[in-house]
Amino acid sequence: MAVSVASHGHAHDDHGGHDDIIYQETRDMRLMGFVLFLVSDVVLFSSYIFAYIYLRNSIQPTWPPIVNGHQLPRLDTAFAAFNSVVLFGSGVTMHYALENWKHANKRGFNLFMWLTIFLGLGFLGGQGYEYAHAQIGGWNGNIFGASFFTLTGMHGIHVFLGVCFLFALWIQTRLGVYTQDKFFGLTAGTLYWHFVDVIWVVLFFLFYLW
Amino acid sequence: MATVAPGVPTGPYHAVLDHIHPEPTSFIRKYIFSIDAKVIGIQYMITGAIFFVIAGLLAEIIRTQLLSPHGAIISAATYNSVYSMHGSAMVWFVVIPLLTGAFGNFVMPMQIGARDVAFPWLNLVAFWIFPVAGVILFSSFLVGAPDAGWTEYPPISLMGPPGTNLWCIAVFLIGVSSTMTGINFLVTMYKMRAPGMTFTRMPLFVWAQLATTPLLFIATTALGAALAALFIERVFGVPFYDPKRGGSPVLWQHMFWFYSHPAVYIMIIPGFGIISEVLPTFARKPIFGYKMIAFSSVAISLLSFSVWAHHMFTSGMVPWLQLPFMIITMVIAIPTGVKIFSWMATLWGGSINWKTPALYATGFLITFTYGGLTGFFLAAVPADYHEHGTYFVVAHFHYVLYGGSIMSMFAGIYYWWPKMTGRMYNEKLGQLQFWLTFIGFNATFTPMHWLGLLGMPRRVATYDPQFTFWNQFATISSYVMALGTVLFFYILFDSFRNGKKAGPNPWGARTLEWMVSSPPPYYNFKKIPAVLAAPYDFGNPLPYLGLDAAPGATEATPTHASHPVPTY
Repeated sequence: MAVSVASHGHAHDDHGGHDDIIYQETRDMRLMGFVLFLVSDVVLFSSYIFAYIYLRNSIQPTWPPIVNGHQLPRLDTAFAAFNSVVLFGSGVTMHYALENWKHANKRGFNLFMWLTIFLGLGFLGGQGYEYAHAQIGGWNGNIFGASFFTLTGMHGIHVFLGVCFLFALWIQTRLGVYTQDKFFGLTAGTLYWHFVDVIWVVLFFLFYLW
Repeated sequence: MATVAPGVPTGPYHAVLDHIHPEPTSFIRKYIFSIDAKVIGIQYMITGAIFFVIAGLLAEIIRTQLLSPHGAIISAATYNSVYSMHGSAMVWFVVIPLLTGAFGNFVMPMQIGARDVAFPWLNLVAFWIFPVAGVILFSSFLVGAPDAGWTEYPPISLMGPPGTNLWCIAVFLIGVSSTMTGINFLVTMYKMRAPGMTFTRMPLFVWAQLATTPLLFIATTALGAALAALFIERVFGVPFYDPKRGGSPVLWQHMFWFYSHPAVYIMIIPGFGIISEVLPTFARKPIFGYKMIAFSSVAISLLSFSVWAHHMFTSGMVPWLQLPFMIITMVIAIPTGVKIFSWMATLWGGSINWKTPALYATGFLITFTYGGLTGFFLAAVPADYHEHGTYFVVAHFHYVLYGGSIMSMFAGIYYWWPKMTGRMYNEKLGQLQFWLTFIGFNATFTPMHWLGLLGMPRRVATYDPQFTFWNQFATISSYVMALGTVLFFYILFDSFRNGKKAGPNPWGARTLEWMVSSPPPYYNFKKIPAVLAAPYDFGNPLPYLGLDAAPGATEATPTHASHPVPTY
């Protein structure tokens, strides 16, 4: 098939080979698709956040609610703040992992990637600890438990999938899938990880500070 | 920037457009698990047609039941399941997948001059979720089908039979499929247009699909959240909606309608696109108000996110919120009116070729306008208090969904049938089929306005004997519609056996899909054409450069089609 490279050799600053142009164009398309996926994921969280605010405001006169005459306690803000720092720290290490990849520093990349994965797992452990100690009547006890465990649980699932995602990316880097110039998977993983971080900022405010 | 012709800039995504990949040879990769958008579009169409027949039979059970005031054939409990499944299947498994998945996949990539969608594999997965979800939905009949209507309001849906859980799963899955399609289409239309095809040169069907995509990947996710919450409440007893445990049934209505009102525009905007293609082609005239039609689709799409609570005026929501919802709802009539008048002006003074697609498009103008006007009644808060939950609502949404969406789909199928199969259908039978459908449809649903205003409630298996005559009239008329549908499938069958060869462009249309052979080759275009203008200037030369027939396009026939390679 006569696909002329010359007629497409425009607007692409570096390299200029046909494969590189194809790579850049498909990368842009996948980046847009991935961002749109994150947008739709934001709507998923927003829906449950709406549900939480709706139930909290229009149904319950006090918060945390009174169940069977018993005032439920607030959640442990201090511990959650510590756990949040763990998650936000993983966002910082993820940033440095990507930067090290771009600068062809394999050792730095491995170090920061694994730090990110361990911090992510640490956050999940902290959340498990909190779940075990929260005295709010369980997932199916009342609307506080329902909103809290559903929203943070869904966030936890996102973190868990993110850890799996990062691990798979690390395996891919070992298999030589990515080069210094072509690393869309790492970009997507970083975006996803920051997205999970930002969602947690909102959840932390809604459940621990409000 | 290099140019393919003076004044025609190449798009930044030109290399992907031209990229070539081998055509599959095995039957399974070619027809079952194909990544070719045209094949996937036809797969959507066949699957949707099967669900349309099943859901249509459910509708005939409903109508037959209402032959007698005491219920002619089935118990009240079964009746509840039948109308719930009819609505769910028609909305999620017929109209939405057909208008986006079927027409979008078959037509849109060709119309923008692309060889495929942006993510062919995602497209394959999105399609295959659809039949699987459909089987899950209909298998709920085996364990007790959902019985709270297609809206499944709690607390009734919390007490519903076990099939309600399957309903949640099925609708959630089809939502995932819709989300994938929405993202895929938006990236395709944004990044993969042929060189020279600026936004204001896109065919109006493409504009309609573009305006639909945000509804697909934003609104649908909210429905997924609501469904997942209903599911975990039913299965694990997590209180969201149960008022006895602090939850709120109105919360479900907010979450459900935040999706389902935009969803009604998912079900009509692509139909608007089909009408915008059919009318200028058969009136032999440029479309009137190209930009206004294009932008009004986008306006409807954006406005549709802020009107959902007009479904909930009687739910006990705060009164001060009802007024803004009423006003914004009525504002949607403005972009819709812009379209209706533009289409009428397109027909005005045209030399109209009354083929079946043109009949359907004109019939659409009448019935959809009628349905839009009753929508205005329902949007007015005081009138809605009277009409809510009556047959007036049933009449209204069948006028916009059958008289709008389904009529536009009939127009689209007759219009693109020669392109899909390479054969013409029987024109006389097609016109007879239109009149059976049009008369049967109006005779079925017009009396329901009167029944509703007189106070006949929807979703009840029996009715007061004073309503008997018009119910029997509607039922008999619905059999005429059913006859029209049977004839429709006969026409398609007949076309395969006796249809004349269609040739590439039987209608003399001007959009890009008509510039290639029928059925189109796997790669769509030997060479991606350059686009000089919007496609509707009848009377002028075609605004394309580098088409296969044009001098200069001398390459050998490609044996490949374009799918971007997943290089990492």
